[in-house]
Amino acid sequence: MNSRIRAGLIGGIFGLLISLVSGGQIAYLAGIIAGAIASQLAAQEEDVASVRAGIQLGLRAGLVAGALTALGVFIRGFLINPLVNVSADASVVFMLGLGGLVMAGVAGVVFGAIRGLPSPQNRFGTLLAFGLLAVAYPFLDSLLNLRFMNEVIPVLIFILMALGLNIVVGYAGLLDLGYAAFFAIGAYTTGMLASPHFGISMPFWIVIWIAAAVAALFGILLGAPTLPLRGDYLAIVTLGFGEIVPIAANNLDNVTISILGVTLLENFDLTGGPRGINPINRPSLFGYAFEPSQPIPWYFLILGLIVFSIFFILRLRNSRLGRAWSAMREDELAASAMGINLVRTKLLAFAMGATFSGFAGAFYGSFISAITPASFGFDVSVILLCMVILGGLGNITGVILGGLIIQFADRLFLPQLGDVVQGLLQNSNIEVLKEINFKTDFRTMLFGLTLVIMMLVRPEGLVPNERRRRELHADDEATAHERQTLYDAEQA
Amino acid sequence: MASEAVGSNFQKRVIPWRTIARVALVVFFVLFLAVPLFNILVQMVTNPQLLLRQLLIGLTNGAYIALIALGYTLVYGIVELINFAHGEVYMIGAFFSLTLVGLFSLSDETPYATRIPLMLLILVLTMLATALLNAAIERFAYRRLRNAPRLAPLISAIGVSFVLQNVGLLWGYLRFPAFNGVMGSNAVAPKSYPQLIPNDNLLAPLEGVFGEAFRLRFTTKDLVVIVVSATLLIALYTFVQRTKIGKAMRATAQDRDASALMGIDVNRTITLAFLLGGALAGAAGMLVGMYNGTVVYTLGFTAGLRSFTAAVLGGIGNILGAMLGGLLIGLISALSDQYISTEWTNAVVFGILVIILVLRPNGLLGEDVQQKA
Repeated sequence: MNSRIRAGLIGGIFGLLISLVSGGQIAYLAGIIAGAIASQLAAQEEDVASVRAGIQLGLRAGLVAGALTALGVFIRGFLINPLVNVSADASVVFMLGLGGLVMAGVAGVVFGAIRGLPSPQNRFGTLLAFGLLAVAYPFLDSLLNLRFMNEVIPVLIFILMALGLNIVVGYAGLLDLGYAAFFAIGAYTTGMLASPHFGISMPFWIVIWIAAAVAALFGILLGAPTLPLRGDYLAIVTLGFGEIVPIAANNLDNVTISILGVTLLENFDLTGGPRGINPINRPSLFGYAFEPSQPIPWYFLILGLIVFSIFFILRLRNSRLGRAWSAMREDELAASAMGINLVRTKLLAFAMGATFSGFAGAFYGSFISAITPASFGFDVSVILLCMVILGGLGNITGVILGGLIIQFADRLFLPQLGDVVQGLLQNSNIEVLKEINFKTDFRTMLFGLTLVIMMLVRPEGLVPNERRRRELHADDEATAHERQTLYDAEQA
Repeated sequence: MASEAVGSNFQKRVIPWRTIARVALVVFFVLFLAVPLFNILVQMVTNPQLLLRQLLIGLTNGAYIALIALGYTLVYGIVELINFAHGEVYMIGAFFSLTLVGLFSLSDETPYATRIPLMLLILVLTMLATALLNAAIERFAYRRLRNAPRLAPLISAIGVSFVLQNVGLLWGYLRFPAFNGVMGSNAVAPKSYPQLIPNDNLLAPLEGVFGEAFRLRFTTKDLVVIVVSATLLIALYTFVQRTKIGKAMRATAQDRDASALMGIDVNRTITLAFLLGGALAGAAGMLVGMYNGTVVYTLGFTAGLRSFTAAVLGGIGNILGAMLGGLLIGLISALSDQYISTEWTNAVVFGILVIILVLRPNGLLGEDVQQKA
């Protein structure tokens, strides 16, 4: 199959699914996303020599993707909507489909053209284009009347954490199944330092750093006992820490410490117990107070945090420490023989990973303004692991893409699918199916299947890190090489 | 002189992993645990009757934990994989048996003449179902990853456990009379398991003879759980130690390649390990369902955690070790339920797991095996 058409089809699947389950004005956004993905994928497959070639490539891939998006709009408008008794105006549906197609084409052309620029402008331009899209999103949202802003912010919080987990799992190769613990620690630090709980109200801009530092400290504390462990034993121990932290948060609401009859603390409420800490102060900037009803400032705050983190992580990856991490991941013994201090390198991996989770926790605490131990369970750690593995371990682009897909599927696709199915079943008499709550009842299935299928089919993730891809397919390449040498020998 | 300098430099580079880890653990211990542990010890000594009562509960818990732990140990011994989904197989076993109970419309009013054979039939069917389920999981989710990097099958196993947990959740939508739980009829609610075994105290006469101090509790339910578990454990141990297939399993656990060269079908042996582990988990699921009287879809995680800890405590890969570990973990969690609090028990078990892995990764009965990365 032609690589452009294939890229277009892959991008188009996103567009199709988005427009199929959501319907309405989101078709335009679906078109942009589908076109951008298709164009990027196509440009990855073949070299783009000039802007002109890029436009051609992007246009074709974008149009294929747009066609699929339009198909999604039509299926939704003409087949599903009548079934669920939503009146659909044929001309409106037609316009939406056409709009999706045009948007996909335009996005394809723009991204293709940027890829056609000489290096390094093409990389810079691609970043800029995605950056602009991210900055423009809130305005698109209100323009198209999508009302996704309150969903998008938690998505970004999870992406920030996935970036941190990527340091531990992707760069240093330490499978951490208890990463949510650091999220909890960050959130609880914020809760204690900026709320009426202890009557302390430090400003958010200071608390977020303290939260990150406390999380990093716990990263080192929890990392130290696990130093001799490797592989699956390490995974299980981190899982243990991930469980102990919420249990502790749940039960440390009535702390009494007495040594030899001397009572140091009596019935001290440290964490608020199962009720958690509520409310937590919200940040304010130069007198402007962040309000829950105004999501746009929150959006830019978390976006800023993510951009800062990406910059920091990229610098970290290319630093001496980052190279030490990958050396340690490949072979601990060899790395230590080369003079890498394994203790320091491992502990710093845990600490750095925890730092970003601490940021995310601090932001989460002040955004939600109420934290309970229940929101930091094992499932959070597994969702994050899913995001990192789906996108591609050790690759920031991959982690962000994986995060977007998983979170989109979890927060938007499943509920929408539920609405559609419930609508379809309205007139049937299958009682059991009607009771199923799609929003919650297929979540774990979704994450579980993602993990299993990715491991079986594409363990390196959607956008793999080059080195890891080679590692995982070392056998294939070795056999190819052997075949080649055999062939040479026969020829000779 | 120069060589000495090099030598001392080299000395510096040796990394004291275990020392660092041990120091960290000691710090944790002194900071958080020493004082409460002392208080608990005082409580135990001052009230031996309560202690004895908890130990009896722990014995029953230990019996079923040992059953599940064997599944972890059998599989780990042969393929070196933590079968993360094993706890969920146990949960599915509990649901499966409850469904059969519903289908046969068993209840606490069914006469014993029909109730006991049917219960045995359900036990066998459940064991068969979970055995097949466990083998199917191996076939579809792990086999292709046998030569992949070590974390790949572990991640796949986590995925399977999530899928199974979701299956348990959806199972709750079934509308059997048996599924109309005491806690409401929605899918998430715990399902009530009919009381198929009487709950009468076998140790009640002791109190009459020896007085108040011997007010202990050991019911028919406890007896059944312990007898069935012990029978299965002995059967399994005999199977692995005495039969030719068991010998093949032990050989495969020791060296997969060499045993393949000796004409052992490695794939079949691995499947057998999963079948056996699954069957024991299914039996445990039914026993616990009857013992506790409820079945919830989140049952698997805690049980899996405790059993895995038990397997590691006894020395993973070691069958007797898993039984011993199961018993110990059962006792410890019963004591923790009483003297600390039910909510902390999971944390206690995890703490024990961490301590064993760090201080004695080969467990109590494990041989000195190198940990593979």
